[in-house]
Amino acid sequence: MKRWNLILALLLITSMLLSACGKPTPTATPAPATEEATTAPATEEKVTVTIAAGAVGQELELAKAAAQRYMDKHPNVTVKVLDTPDLVQDRLGLYLQFFQAKSSEVDIYQIDVIWPGDLAEHFVDLYQYPGAKELAAQNFPAIIKNNTVDGKLIGIPWFTDAGLLYYRTDLLKKYGYDAPPKTWDELHDMAKKIQDGERAAGNQDFWGYVWQGNAYEGLTCDALEWIDSNGGGTIVSPDKKITINNKYAAEALDMAAGWVGTISPEGVLGFAEEDARNMWQAGNAAFMRNWPYAYSLGNADDSAVKGKFDVVPLPAGRAGHGAATLGGWQLAVSKYSKHPDVAADVALFLASPEEQKIRAIQGSLNPTVMSLYQDPDVLKAVPFFGSLYDVFTNAVARPSTATAPKYNDVSTLFFKAVHSVLSGDTDAQTAMEELELDLQDLLGYESATPE
Amino acid sequence: MDKKLGITDLAKREERLAYTLLIPTFLILLIIAFYPLGSVFYSSLTNREFASAEPVKFIGLQNYSDLLSITIKELPPKLDDAGQPVIDEKTGEQVYERSIKILPREPRRYREVSQFSLLGKRYVIGATDRDFVRAIWDTLLFTVISVLLETLLGLGVALIVNTNFTGRGAMRAVMLVPWAIPTAVSSRMWQWMFGSTRTGLFNVIGQALGLSNGQTPFLTESAWQLPAMVAIDVWKTTPFMALLLLAGLQLIPSDLYEAADVDGAGKVRQFFSLTLPLLKPTLAVALIFRTLDALRVFDLFQIVLAQKRYSMASFTYYQLINNREMGYSSASSVVIFIMIFVFAIMYIRMLGGVEAE
Repeated sequence: MKRWNLILALLLITSMLLSACGKPTPTATPAPATEEATTAPATEEKVTVTIAAGAVGQELELAKAAAQRYMDKHPNVTVKVLDTPDLVQDRLGLYLQFFQAKSSEVDIYQIDVIWPGDLAEHFVDLYQYPGAKELAAQNFPAIIKNNTVDGKLIGIPWFTDAGLLYYRTDLLKKYGYDAPPKTWDELHDMAKKIQDGERAAGNQDFWGYVWQGNAYEGLTCDALEWIDSNGGGTIVSPDKKITINNKYAAEALDMAAGWVGTISPEGVLGFAEEDARNMWQAGNAAFMRNWPYAYSLGNADDSAVKGKFDVVPLPAGRAGHGAATLGGWQLAVSKYSKHPDVAADVALFLASPEEQKIRAIQGSLNPTVMSLYQDPDVLKAVPFFGSLYDVFTNAVARPSTATAPKYNDVSTLFFKAVHSVLSGDTDAQTAMEELELDLQDLLGYESATPE
Repeated sequence: MDKKLGITDLAKREERLAYTLLIPTFLILLIIAFYPLGSVFYSSLTNREFASAEPVKFIGLQNYSDLLSITIKELPPKLDDAGQPVIDEKTGEQVYERSIKILPREPRRYREVSQFSLLGKRYVIGATDRDFVRAIWDTLLFTVISVLLETLLGLGVALIVNTNFTGRGAMRAVMLVPWAIPTAVSSRMWQWMFGSTRTGLFNVIGQALGLSNGQTPFLTESAWQLPAMVAIDVWKTTPFMALLLLAGLQLIPSDLYEAADVDGAGKVRQFFSLTLPLLKPTLAVALIFRTLDALRVFDLFQIVLAQKRYSMASFTYYQLINNREMGYSSASSVVIFIMIFVFAIMYIRMLGGVEAE
């Protein structure tokens, strides 16, 4: 009997332990991290607006400074900046909790480029507020189009991103190339030659080309670039036709599958942005596909490739032009906000050319306003922005608007199919055939060939 | 039964009092256990979307049949235009029809999970949600292998630290270190050790031993994924197992061993005839804990494998957060709940049997 008491006590203690440390509960709504509400209630018109903003790198600092500038101009408004998780998926989880509760706690949300379609029902149409039309016209049309759902402007672009090809200028010169690759075939040949040469010279960890091959949203971006640059369309076309099952798409995926283990490490199938960057920045890769953020980090003092690389648009396939997947963040005003008009004004202020210019110079965040790519002050601070202009005008958007609110399912099906092709589990044709059927079941759209 | 004749008023009053005093407990249970469970069960019967104003429709058991429908079909040999079976030139083996042509599409589409050969025929297993079916299989496999290894290793460790030697106290404390590290941290640590290049410890070791070229992608190659998961889990929870078993070992009176020594039983005989039977109740409790825990493994899979391969719990997470399918993910939660429940009942039966002995 005594024995059993002991065991029971043990049971109890361990179960408490288990529930305490075994299972991390999802974080509930976090307390606003910054700028406590003003203690003295001022005049009655005093309005508080809260922004849920990113905190990657300098983002939070820049957002707070911008909020302060707004408050200086509008003394009756308090702008609070709420710190949100770094990982996109975690941030979405937090936002969804606010929406589920129809919470007015947050007025302005910083939303990812793939969310406007999915989350449109929670945001106001910014076109109904003064100044929005004019500001939208100054932005890249592709980004505005991505933010437009049923004619409504869901978010105002804040900063943007697009896939780029990083290449080692010193190695290209060493192996007798005078220009970066224009096509995927050229890239393959150059990568192979440099890789063989560098390995023979003693660096057995050297690889030709690194990119993002893990089964996650990043692979959707990479694969979309291969397929679109090969004339294989954009998975689902803007007019809601499923276009993925075509021979150019399959050809592009076969091409990429052929890189794995030859010019790219087998582990690339587990790579995200930072894995690729770490390898590249250690000097162990000739080419890398990544977002613009890797540029300033690659030129930091602790980087082995400092001053030895440059960026160009991604190579072209059969389509004759390269494609860069569009990334970036927008500001959207919550429908559940108590002061949508003030919130919209704050959002438009933060996304204005003046503010974007400050962010570009201080944080090297890519503006969405076209004219800033020719702005001498910006180009002086971040010279490579000039060459990005063409990349953004040719950027390809993920089919998030056409597939809303099912984009995440579509993307998951897509990257899982691509991943199975890359890892050799299925061939590209079968995978795309199955994906087409999956997408038909999911979306109910018809199939078509890409234009 | 209660309504025996001659029951006194006092007893009745006491009974009433007992029920009155139990009411708060029942209320709390109702609020914190039955209500959430009930609402999960209810939403598993709907097409509810997470954080959306879309109208919610009651769809009965649709989610469950989407999750769990499985079919097995025979794959006919592929015939060429002349009606002759096609033979692969490289391998010399029979080529079969592609499963996508054989598996039913209406009313619901089945996707290939795997193929197997039996008695000279080729079969394909199809499922409406192959990710979940794979997740169930992977989770069960993970549970059985990891719990088995943990029990064996934990027993070994417990037997060692139960003997007398200098530094035993320190050893017992050191033994607990892996268990004390939060799973999120240890998963990351192991993720780096399993790194796909020579930045990863195992690749360095493998290359030094001449086993690999230093580029083995442990976490992306499907053959390596589950062994890696099991390795991490065994490393982390063996101490827990050892701790539980150590407590059980200490309950065995030492005079039993002295008597066995006098009777001339060897160490091995002592272990199987004394230690093991007396340890059985503790072992059963430890097994319950580990099995139920392993069945709902989440953090390890979510952190290390993310969407490359799911456990049942991480599948549920991605359905809810990424795809916002609240109804569907509720259904998969209920499936997990039922499976754990079945295991729990099985173990409690076992435990009950032990108690009766």
